[in-house]
Amino acid sequence: MQLPSNPSIFVIVPAYNEGPVLRRGLDRLLGHSYEVVVVDDGSTDSTWALLADAPVHRLRHPVNLGQGAAIQTGMTYALQNGADVIVHFDADEQHQVGDIEVLTAPVLSGEADVALGSRFLRKEDADAIPFIRRLVLRAAVVVNGLLTGVWLSDAHNGFRVLSRRAAEAIDLRENRMAHASEILVQIRRAGVRYVECPTTIIYSEYSQEKGQSGWNAIRIVIDVLLRRIFR
Amino acid sequence: MRPVQLILIVMLIMVIFLYFNRLRSGILDRVLVVAFAVAGMVMAALPDVTMKMAAAVGVGRGADLFMYLALVGFGFFGLVLFSKIRSLEGTITDLARSVAVNNARTPGDTGVPSRESTD
Repeated sequence: MQLPSNPSIFVIVPAYNEGPVLRRGLDRLLGHSYEVVVVDDGSTDSTWALLADAPVHRLRHPVNLGQGAAIQTGMTYALQNGADVIVHFDADEQHQVGDIEVLTAPVLSGEADVALGSRFLRKEDADAIPFIRRLVLRAAVVVNGLLTGVWLSDAHNGFRVLSRRAAEAIDLRENRMAHASEILVQIRRAGVRYVECPTTIIYSEYSQEKGQSGWNAIRIVIDVLLRRIFR
Repeated sequence: MRPVQLILIVMLIMVIFLYFNRLRSGILDRVLVVAFAVAGMVMAALPDVTMKMAAAVGVGRGADLFMYLALVGFGFFGLVLFSKIRSLEGTITDLARSVAVNNARTPGDTGVPSRESTD
């Protein structure tokens, strides 16, 4: 794909009841040449009010829909506003701002249309994942591969970079967490090229509390299966 | 006639009444509901008929045949309801998305969120 010399990179940050933590996460993103798009997924806490003076694009769902829906809203908005590259990023301090450059590189160079973050490409990253979590993720990788036909080293990482072409080919209908599997199916169907890039994930107490429980994995599988039946 | 037969028949008549009163639906749905209700009334009024039907398909009792059919029916309605809810969810999502995109605030547009003027 031919990119302009100064491509506009939109970073999409879904947020739901993140409160003051979100603001800290956003501060790390500012000062780079990224267009930051925060999608408040109908938070019931102070999230939206705290964003009022943040120099970012702010969108708000009138009702809570789920992370997948928030990401799709951000992508729709970014595409309307001339994004060349779209980044999916979590602001809860798990994802490293520095890794954005790592993931955008293959997309900017035209090597791939989609770059997916992986915690399992470097041993030190994998070792940083709590043991139980690692087991759940390994199982998720296999389930994901079977369901989507896309075999990766990591699952449900949430750190992704998409070219405009790839983002246009994707339409997430899965509002909740199953969007992470849905997006792989759509990537495969669209026939866009994807690569995996190493990312470091910081497991803070906050992100652990907020993050997916192992049980939720079962719900995700059910959602994905239902989607296959009711298409 | 046993009391239970009367109760069942009255309840089925109420179902038809409620359906026609409360739900505006297509002619096919109405015909289906009436057909099911009448079938139910026949089953309640003439248990012998149900018994013969059960015997014909190799089920011991009429009540058992009815239960099997009801189970399948419930499953079917569950699926119909489920897919309706999903499509409803999709509609709400589209609505919420366009509300969010239309009211988006850009980085320069800071300050207390206020209502967008339409003129």
